[in-house]
Amino acid sequence: MTSPRPRVGPEAVEPPGLDDLLRRVARGDEDAFAALYDRIAPRVYGLALRVIRDPAQAEEVAQEALVDVWRTAGRYDPARGSTISWVLTIAHRRAVDRVRSEQATADRTRRAAVSDVAFDEVVEEATARFEQQQVRRCLGSLTELQREAVDLAYYHGYSYREVAELLGAALPTVKTRMRDALIRLRDCLGVSFG
Amino acid sequence: MSDIHTLSGAYALDAVDDIERVAFARHLTECPACAQEVAELTATAARLADATAIVPPARLRARVLDEIGRTRQVGPLIPRPERATPAARRWRRIGVAVAAAVVLLAAGGGALVQEQRVRDAQRQAAQAAEIEAVLAAPDAVVQTAAGPDGKGHVTLVTSQQRDESVAVLGGLESPGVDRTYQLWLLRDGQATDKGMLGTGSTGGTMLVAGVRDEQQFAITREPAGGSPTPSEMPPPVHIQLT
Repeated sequence: MTSPRPRVGPEAVEPPGLDDLLRRVARGDEDAFAALYDRIAPRVYGLALRVIRDPAQAEEVAQEALVDVWRTAGRYDPARGSTISWVLTIAHRRAVDRVRSEQATADRTRRAAVSDVAFDEVVEEATARFEQQQVRRCLGSLTELQREAVDLAYYHGYSYREVAELLGAALPTVKTRMRDALIRLRDCLGVSFG
Repeated sequence: MSDIHTLSGAYALDAVDDIERVAFARHLTECPACAQEVAELTATAARLADATAIVPPARLRARVLDEIGRTRQVGPLIPRPERATPAARRWRRIGVAVAAAVVLLAAGGGALVQEQRVRDAQRQAAQAAEIEAVLAAPDAVVQTAAGPDGKGHVTLVTSQQRDESVAVLGGLESPGVDRTYQLWLLRDGQATDKGMLGTGSTGGTMLVAGVRDEQQFAITREPAGGSPTPSEMPPPVHIQLT
C-alpha cells in the first residue's frame, strides 16, 4: 500500500548548508570538510560500491573522490549545478573510470553475466528514506527499456555502446532512450535548475 | 536536432567515452539550451545515487581526513580576460578533467600498455602528458571514422597549434595474430610512418606528431613490426586533415 506523499522539491533533498560548507572547504577549512564528509560520504561510498561492487576497491575510489572534492573545491562553479550534484558527478566518473580500466584489461566475461542482473536489485536496496522511495517510484514510471538503459549505464558503468550491444539495440535508439529516461525522471523528481 | 545533441542523456550518465565527452563538452559551450538541459539531466542522474547510499566503514573517514591534511588544494580558475573567452576557459577546464580520465585509462588498460615494461613507465607518463595537452588544447578538433570493414571506431583529436593529434582506436577487427595496425600521415602520395599498435592488438591510444602540413591520417594492416610504406592503398581507414 502506498499512501499519498507530499510533493517535495529538490531543496528538501539537499539539506541547506552544503553550499556554505563547500565554500569554507575551498578556503582550506578542514572542520568544514569533516562536516561535509559526514553529509556526502554515504552517497559517495554507496554509489562507488554500487558501480564497482568490490568493497575494497569501492573504498579506494570513494577516498579518491572525496579527496578530489577537497582538492578542487575552489573550482566548483555553482552556475553548472548544485553542490551535491557536483560531488556525485566526481564520484560517478571515478567509479566508471575504475570499472572501464578493469574492463579494458580483463576479459569481457562480465558482459555475459550482466544481462541477467535484475533491475530489482536496485529497487530492493532502496528502502526507508523518502528520497530513495521517490527515486524508486520514479524509476518505476519508466518503460522497461528506458529503465534497463539507465540501470546498465549509471549503476553498472557501461558506455552507451556497450549498453547497445547488451540490449541488442541500435546506437541512436539507446542514446534516445537514455535521454528520454532522464527527462522523464527529471520531471517525476521535480528537478529544476537555473 | 543535431546528432550530437541526442548525446545529452548518455553524457549525463557518464556513458560516453572520453573523446565523446570532450566533443560534447565543447558543444555545450556553443549551445546554451543544451547546457541547461545537461545541467538538469546531470542533477537528475545524481539523484539516482540516493537509492544507493550506504554508511561507509569508519576507517574511510579517518583516511580521508588524514589525506586531505596532506593534500594541497588547487586555486580557483582566474579569468584571463586578455585571451580566453568564458567558453574557452570552461572548455579548458573540462578538457583537463577529461584528459585526466584518458590518462587513467591509458595507464590502467589496454593490451598495448600491458605489454610495456616498467622501465617504459616514465616515457609513458611523458606521453600521457602530451596526450592530455592535445585534448585540452583550445583549438582541438575531433574527427571520427569507422574502423576497417565498419568495425570499431577511430577518433582523431587534432591541435594545429600543437602540431599534434591523438588517435584513439577501439574495437577494431583483429588484424590477425602476426599482424598489426600501423598509423600514417599522407601528403602528395608520400606516407610517413607514425607507429603501430601491438601485434594483434585491436585498440589503443597513440600520439601523432607533425600533423600540420599533412593531408590525411591513415591506418593500414601490416605484418608484425610494421612496413616502411603502406601495403594497403587506398588505406582502409583515412581521415582528411585541415
